[in-house]
Amino acid sequence: MTKRRSPSTATPKRKNRNFSRRALLGSIGASAALAPFIPLLESQAGGDMAPKRLVLLFSPNGSLHERWAPTGSENDFQLREILSPLEAYKDQMCILDGLEVIRQGLGDGHQMGMACLWTGNQLNPGDFGGGNGGSAGWAGAASIDQAIVQALNAPTPYNSLEFGVQNGGANNWSRMIYAGSDAPVAAENNPEEMFNRLFADLGVDNSELQRIKAERRSVLDLVHGDLESLSGRYSSGDKAKVDAHLEAVREIERRNDLATPTCEQPTQDYGFNFDANENFPAVSRLMIDQMVMALACDLTRVASLQWSRSVSQTEFSWVGAGRHHDLSHLGDEDNTMVTEITAINQWYAEEVKYLLDAMAAVPEGDGTMLDNSLVVWGNELSRGNSHGNHPVPFVTFGSAGGAIQTGRYLTYDRVPHNRLLVSMAQIMGANIESFGNNDPGSGGLQGFWS
Amino acid sequence: MRRFMLLSAAVGLWGLPGCYSGFSADANGFGAGSDTAADSGDGNDNDGGDGDGGDGDPDDPASLCMDADVGVTSLRRLTAEQYDHTIRDLLGLDGGYTAEFSPDERIGAFKSNGNAAVVELQVEEYMDAAEAVATDAVADLTQLLPCEASEGDTCAEAFLADFTMRAYRRPLEAGELDRVLDVYQSGKETGDGDMQAGLRVAIAGVLQSPYFLYHVEFGRPEAGDELVALTGYELASRLSYFLWDSMPDDALFQAAASGELEDADGVRAQVDRMIASPKAQDTIASFHQQWLGVDELEHAEKDPELYPSYDTTLAASMKQDVASFAQWVINEGDGTLDQLLTANVTVSDDPRLHEVYGVVAPAGRLPGEPIELPADERAGLLTMPGVMAEHAHPDQTSPILRGVLLRQELLCQVLPPPPPDVDNVPPSPSPDATTRERFHQHTADPACSGCHVQIDPLGFGLEAYDSMGAFRTNEENGLPIDDAGEVVLSDVDGEFEGGPELAAKLAESQFVQNCVSRQWFRYALGRVETEADTCAVDGISEAFTESGRDVRVLLREIALSSAFRFRKGDA
Repeated sequence: MTKRRSPSTATPKRKNRNFSRRALLGSIGASAALAPFIPLLESQAGGDMAPKRLVLLFSPNGSLHERWAPTGSENDFQLREILSPLEAYKDQMCILDGLEVIRQGLGDGHQMGMACLWTGNQLNPGDFGGGNGGSAGWAGAASIDQAIVQALNAPTPYNSLEFGVQNGGANNWSRMIYAGSDAPVAAENNPEEMFNRLFADLGVDNSELQRIKAERRSVLDLVHGDLESLSGRYSSGDKAKVDAHLEAVREIERRNDLATPTCEQPTQDYGFNFDANENFPAVSRLMIDQMVMALACDLTRVASLQWSRSVSQTEFSWVGAGRHHDLSHLGDEDNTMVTEITAINQWYAEEVKYLLDAMAAVPEGDGTMLDNSLVVWGNELSRGNSHGNHPVPFVTFGSAGGAIQTGRYLTYDRVPHNRLLVSMAQIMGANIESFGNNDPGSGGLQGFWS
Repeated sequence: MRRFMLLSAAVGLWGLPGCYSGFSADANGFGAGSDTAADSGDGNDNDGGDGDGGDGDPDDPASLCMDADVGVTSLRRLTAEQYDHTIRDLLGLDGGYTAEFSPDERIGAFKSNGNAAVVELQVEEYMDAAEAVATDAVADLTQLLPCEASEGDTCAEAFLADFTMRAYRRPLEAGELDRVLDVYQSGKETGDGDMQAGLRVAIAGVLQSPYFLYHVEFGRPEAGDELVALTGYELASRLSYFLWDSMPDDALFQAAASGELEDADGVRAQVDRMIASPKAQDTIASFHQQWLGVDELEHAEKDPELYPSYDTTLAASMKQDVASFAQWVINEGDGTLDQLLTANVTVSDDPRLHEVYGVVAPAGRLPGEPIELPADERAGLLTMPGVMAEHAHPDQTSPILRGVLLRQELLCQVLPPPPPDVDNVPPSPSPDATTRERFHQHTADPACSGCHVQIDPLGFGLEAYDSMGAFRTNEENGLPIDDAGEVVLSDVDGEFEGGPELAAKLAESQFVQNCVSRQWFRYALGRVETEADTCAVDGISEAFTESGRDVRVLLREIALSSAFRFRKGDA
């Protein structure tokens, strides 16, 4: 019989004692010092058949176009301050200047910008206040990454993974990924919990793991049955909630039956408060490390990282700047605003570079994992002090296995960003011709990939 | 570019476009929000008691409206707090299992998971929590089981039958217990015949069932689009989550089983018992902390140079102070809204908080005994350090955040959002200007003044409370406090000076009374009232007023109302 750890009232953390293989691993993540790690494994998805990966990145409160947009022409351009940390990736990026995130219907600029960013869709009515004539709720449709997940139906343990750094409460200023209408997907904000979720199985004794899986199979079967019978009692309205829960259970059942992937555990230290402002940079690095490992191990092919949230008040003391949203509202003539907003956006660009460095360090076929990926970095606003919706700063990285011609600076005149979303889907292999109800047109983004 | 000042950025709520100088007004001067047409803001036009409704008692306005419509209460999941309380009452295990849950949604000021569907991450969080609870639950089988573990499966089955019923908060339907027992057997098998393993897996399974995780309500069997009465068990759960923030106890289950909850008298008897029970403290605490926004006070940061004594321990103490004060008024005091808004006492036992209040506990004081505070400094909930600290910036006060709190949560008036392209950074503290002077542009500039004449003069009246809620007579720059304020667009319009005078005005306001009763209605049902609830909401407000604003009567009237006892079918 398996030996159990006896529950101890002295243990502050109440989770994961017996059931779980996670308890067995509790100490693994805590042993090493906080340090960037470089994946040691060859990509598990690897070889000539490397799949495409999609990574969505979000940083909040707009940018400063005059310090973000490059100078020069499509194929011969120079980066300015905000994107300068990404100089090394100039040949692997596309800078998309002039896209408009069309806003219609309910919600304030931040709400609409946030919910429309990846959905291209209007918000439902709801209880969040925010105005423009009515009280806005959650987004009214799935975000593009989730639509791609549906279309591709990849055999990975996770359809997608959502990483977050201090995203804040459950409201429409704080959520950008949607599984469908009224179905915001909250990102995991606690790096230790993310580690437990993704990597705790690794190294657990196989018979123990099989026991846990068998127990869960039986439990999930019960839950599955209850949800099915409950769903049958609703005709509409609440039925969608029950069905979404059922769908999540199905996914967990599927994952429970999969073999444990071959993967390295990132070595990380969690001995700090992931919610404290001062730890924002540290959490960002932990999440990026885990994301890259999850992609390299083929735990998922679709991931997102959301830094803070719209109306972010992160205080950027580590770059000598103040509270982000407050600063973003200061006037253009205000040097403090210009200097500090530049510094904040530059800091985000450095985090993007850290991610790209890690992805480029994973060999895959003749190239690297970055080559086989499409990374898209967006924002909910063009500029903080105008709450503008164009030009919203979009930059893509990687060629998705040669699909995209990179190293270009592309300019547009208020083209709906829905076209970019369509292109992203098509690049990833999803048969999507139009996306979101905010765009009167359809098709991909001309010049970028269409 | 001109610098406009506007509604300042409260976490997550502001940064909104369109602070129209022409304040949009409905007949009462205020809309109740786009979906809340049931505006009882004028307070005096109650027509809910037409006297023709169902089994209504003509002396009991809230129990009328039985023929009237009610708003739709959608399927809601337990909040994290409800989950922890339920585990406590179900298994005797104390708290801490929900620390990693994704945050709860809010409906207005209150936590309620009624809109968004769950996603995989949350379902995994439920799995982790259920496994942790189950592991702890089976640690001591002697304590857990109602019979001898040596009896084996017979005993396990007896336990699981009772446990599952209480976890689902209703009698089990045909086949349900068998399915749980299957999980038990299967867990036992994988655990090499160990009964403890079987119980652990079965408990974890029940705790992941939607019947545990959601407030499942269909009404009496023929659920459809019409108004249907909740079943006794469904009503028992509504009552217990409303009044206790947790699951029903045995007496309430008994009342559901016996049919006692099918008429108003039966409900009234239970409600009176429940309000008198110590378990009501959890609800009184949750309501007041969420209503006034202090439930996440630990996250409010203060400038350590200006407020060196402020830390998360003190914040937790301030948050508890709000709950303890409300509990004291309702249990030991006269239970009225007036006392909640005006009593100048604290019942905190924390000497550090006493220091913030500028008082010392008298010698020989027993824990929880009220300490009188200076009547010209403190009056009730609004002037409590927790409330003032939450609605302030890290380095300065915020007349805006405080004014908005009063408008929205005390007067239930919805403010239009500020225009999108303005600078809403509070002006930096200055050595030679008072807060009032620094915010002058709000009321001087016509683009701002439409809204801000309603907000700022309320907040200016609270200038004597600094960013962490301590009373002060001078601003940080040494200039004397000017806490003259003015209430407009209410039924108690007029000038006042300082918190206690403002509190006295608000205590007399019918607007405030009606708003408080609406806030409790939202808390009770986990949703915002709609036009369909008008009859119920008006009846409840009227009964509250007639009782002399006794909060206990308010809770009872909500529990007796048609909106609470009936539901509209799945639409």
